Amino acid sequence: MLNHRVATAFVTLLAVAVTSAGCGADDAKPKAKQDNKSELEIWTRRTPGSEQELTTKRLAEAFTKKTGIPTKVIAIFEGFETKLQQRASQKDLPDIVINDTAQLGTLVDQGLVQEVKKDDIEGGDDISDRAWNAAKAIDGKYYAVPTSAQAFALFVRKDWREKVGMEQPKSWDDLVTLGKAFTEKDPDGNGKKDTAGFIIPASTERGYASWYWSTYLYQAGGDYFKEQDGKFSSAINSDESVTAATWFQDLFCEDKVVMPGAVTANTNTSHQLWEAGKAGIYLTGPYVMGRFDKSLGKDKFEIIAPPPGPKGEGSLAEGENVYLMAGSKNEGGQEKFAEFAASVEGQEIGMDADRAGPIVRLPVNTKVEMSNTRKDPRWEVFQKVYDDAGVYSPTVKQWTPFRQMSADALNALAADCSADPKQTMDELSKKFDAELDKQGVRA
Amino acid sequence: MSGVDTALGLDAKRGPVAVIAKTVLYGALIFVFAGPLVAIMIGAFIPVSDPTKLTVIPDEFTLDNFRQAIERDVFLYLFNSFVVVGVGLLFQVLVSILAAYALARKKFVGSTLVMLAFLGTMMLPEEVLAIPLSLVLADVPVVHVNLIGSLTGMIVPVIAWGFSILVMTEFMKDIPVELEEAARIDGAGELRIFWSVVLPLCRPALGVIGIFGFAMIWDQYMLPLLVAVDNEQFTLPLALRTLRTDEEVGVGVLLAGSLLALLPSVIAFLAFQRSFLRGLTSGAVKG
Amino acid sequence: MSSTGPRAATTDRTAAAAPTTGRRPGRSGGPRKATRNRAGRFREAAKRQLIPWLFLAPALIIFALFKFVPLVRMIEMSFYQVRPFLGDVYVGGANYDQVSSDEVFQDAIWHTVYLAVGTTAGSIVLGLVLALLLEGQVKHLWFVRSAVFLPVVAAMAVVAEVWRILYYPNADGAVNSILGLVGFGPSAFLNSADTSLNSVMVVGIWKGAPYDMMIFLAGLAGVDRALYEAASVDGASVWRRLWHVTFPALRPVFAILLTLAAIRGLRVFTEVFLLTNGGPNGSSEVLMTLIYKLGLERSGELGVASAGSVVLLAATATLTVIVQVLRRRGAHR
Repeated sequence: MLNHRVATAFVTLLAVAVTSAGCGADDAKPKAKQDNKSELEIWTRRTPGSEQELTTKRLAEAFTKKTGIPTKVIAIFEGFETKLQQRASQKDLPDIVINDTAQLGTLVDQGLVQEVKKDDIEGGDDISDRAWNAAKAIDGKYYAVPTSAQAFALFVRKDWREKVGMEQPKSWDDLVTLGKAFTEKDPDGNGKKDTAGFIIPASTERGYASWYWSTYLYQAGGDYFKEQDGKFSSAINSDESVTAATWFQDLFCEDKVVMPGAVTANTNTSHQLWEAGKAGIYLTGPYVMGRFDKSLGKDKFEIIAPPPGPKGEGSLAEGENVYLMAGSKNEGGQEKFAEFAASVEGQEIGMDADRAGPIVRLPVNTKVEMSNTRKDPRWEVFQKVYDDAGVYSPTVKQWTPFRQMSADALNALAADCSADPKQTMDELSKKFDAELDKQGVRA
Repeated sequence: MSGVDTALGLDAKRGPVAVIAKTVLYGALIFVFAGPLVAIMIGAFIPVSDPTKLTVIPDEFTLDNFRQAIERDVFLYLFNSFVVVGVGLLFQVLVSILAAYALARKKFVGSTLVMLAFLGTMMLPEEVLAIPLSLVLADVPVVHVNLIGSLTGMIVPVIAWGFSILVMTEFMKDIPVELEEAARIDGAGELRIFWSVVLPLCRPALGVIGIFGFAMIWDQYMLPLLVAVDNEQFTLPLALRTLRTDEEVGVGVLLAGSLLALLPSVIAFLAFQRSFLRGLTSGAVKG
Repeated sequence: MSSTGPRAATTDRTAAAAPTTGRRPGRSGGPRKATRNRAGRFREAAKRQLIPWLFLAPALIIFALFKFVPLVRMIEMSFYQVRPFLGDVYVGGANYDQVSSDEVFQDAIWHTVYLAVGTTAGSIVLGLVLALLLEGQVKHLWFVRSAVFLPVVAAMAVVAEVWRILYYPNADGAVNSILGLVGFGPSAFLNSADTSLNSVMVVGIWKGAPYDMMIFLAGLAGVDRALYEAASVDGASVWRRLWHVTFPALRPVFAILLTLAAIRGLRVFTEVFLLTNGGPNGSSEVLMTLIYKLGLERSGELGVASAGSVVLLAATATLTVIVQVLRRRGAHR
């Protein structure tokens, strides 16, 4: 009857709406009609209203002035990946995305980025090889143009160190000794035992525990994977890696020099604890210098290179790339923007001198003289650490699952003192191998 | 007659012992529930908060956090939130009371199924529905409009909320048939019965869905995230979540923003509380 | 269903009274005007059946567009490896395998149930107590109620920050200091696997009790004061009054709260995410944080997240049906 027909129509409508909403596996990626004056939509993972967004806008404006290609900068922070996926479902990606190097594998895997021919990039030779490596996927091809780099260094409370009468730490043992002094000797002089040695964001949120620990892993001579002809096998349970894991757990369990609440602390909580003077040793990046200068005071802390571990120096290196997104209407413009961002002029705009909004932390362009624009000598510490000892996260297809799994394991070691590091790493290794299998890159 | 206005009859106790006991009790409740929040809001005025204790008397007082919050467009977000909540709540209440009327007071084929379907929508985690929902918003079936990038896109989906339908239905069920039948005998049509007979008896319930509807729409995170194309369309809670992970600023800015976000909610709550009082007196009018 | 309508007309309506009509109160079949012939009666019946749908129409349209269509799509996604740009790849039950074979999965289910039951029960009990204590028209009660309601209106991000501070694991942390006053040792709260789940539960109850309190207050506002007078004249004690007048009148509230508990309990996410992210060592992992970790933090595993959500949906639906059945059964006694 009438009702039945209406119902059928409704269901059909639903079905059509649903199916047309997204399973188009047959759509090949047609090249969009090109227009080399079409506006470039640039996405960057920054907080709207922040200094960094303003710097990005300045960069884009300078580019437009130079080339005549209009640009539009959109800053998104929370839910960046979700919004990108949303645009991907609509088959309408922005033209440029400025984001972490660690996202490379995922972006390539999802087909969201275009290949970049290194030789076609003007000024590409000026960019350091190490930075280029962070733009290379496992198939050996490049999928982005580097634009920024950074490494981590040790922030130490100078006033505390002087009060307990110790030198700057030069080894892992020194670090522990200093940590113990901070914990026991009341370095802030308030008569209470309310200070600790280390600030460690050991939460599993966004894989922070693993992100923090990587520096020590590399200093111990360990690594996440062993690579062989583009295939990987797990190296997370090697003796060196286990050494690093054991040392990490000891900080919590044996030496007891870590701030309370570390196992659920993310980076923001860690920053706050440092500013409130709850601990005195913090391994972190250059982006907080401005904030700590204001909140704590420049004279209260010093920045030193992380002391070498058993196998030598090491530090996690990270960076940002300019990704050229697929399906753009202005591929020529994309390339020009990437070139500009990596040029000396672009890099200098991005570095924002000594102000609070750098989108280029350490320049990737070897022709850039940092001292031309930056007077703060502390930047040199980070530059040196990067040059001498920086190691990027592995460029597997998808880094996030591994980061997550290792963060879970390290969080477990930190929270449960009875957990055995070797056993935990062995189990983690098995999970790594399974995931490598799943991604189809297992050696 | 005193002692019969409340279930426990606490308002009847008047002696000095009772007054002291009640004061202690109320004080304790305020301390437990409001105390921590008030204390942390003081953090909005402190430049560097100590994350290990709640400072009630700040050493240093500053408005810098508010300045930074304003720099980050907090007033724009507040305005957007107001628009979305104002319009959205109005339609949400309207749609819910209409639906509840049918479900509570009418027997018809499929009523159980419809109720279960409404309840079912509350079981879905919004984080996962996000992408399919955004596809629908980009191209709404049948009408083919694109709601992305406009506040309308944040308003329309919240109009249907299983919770308000559930609450209104339950409260409406309890109204005796006699009243309705009396009105019908007097010749009142369906809409009149709905508007003049059933609805006025549900004031407490309206207050409930008003407050909770306000809070729910105000707190929306996923939906504004999907609909906003750039930060011009952000709502305040969305911005607050961002502030939480923003490493450029301290927690003080988050607290400053939260304080600004809190005020409208509190005002709305006070406004809706009135309906409870009216509900009390309406009970006495009956019979 | 027993008819204990609080706003009773004249007849005696204590809990023991039997319904005067054979139907549930408030459910009308429509006017019973005399109709002359079969066609007229048919039109009447059709109109009777149509009117409810007219009232439901706005809600149904919005739900259909913005809830059901995405739901269908989500179920569909659970069988695919979702790649928004390149197009989805059909993987059958692989996503479901991944979710259910994750070693944390079983623990997560247990944690979810534990947290849901504990938080719900705690909120309802405490909410009822609060409502009874803070009922009344006196001006200063407005203030107290508003103060107690603050946890509900404060953003979750702020609530998490507050409790992180209160739970600071040192002996001089806020809650630890109070515990110290009454002789208990300091606890690690969120930072120890033994106490993390309970610590999250306390926060859930702290935020949930005022919420339930509001709904209870609405119910209490509708209790017929004449019944209280009658009971007081009869010399009934407060407890008897509560038991025979107040609680039966709160039937709709309990119904709402229990239904809500079944529906939303398993979905607990934000508190856990912001306070512990499932840690330490997975001790407070719940289904939603697991789904988030497996599906959403790793971009491109939307299919896995959908599969986990479908599992969650099935569990919740089952639970809700059970609760509704028990309610009907309980009411018929």
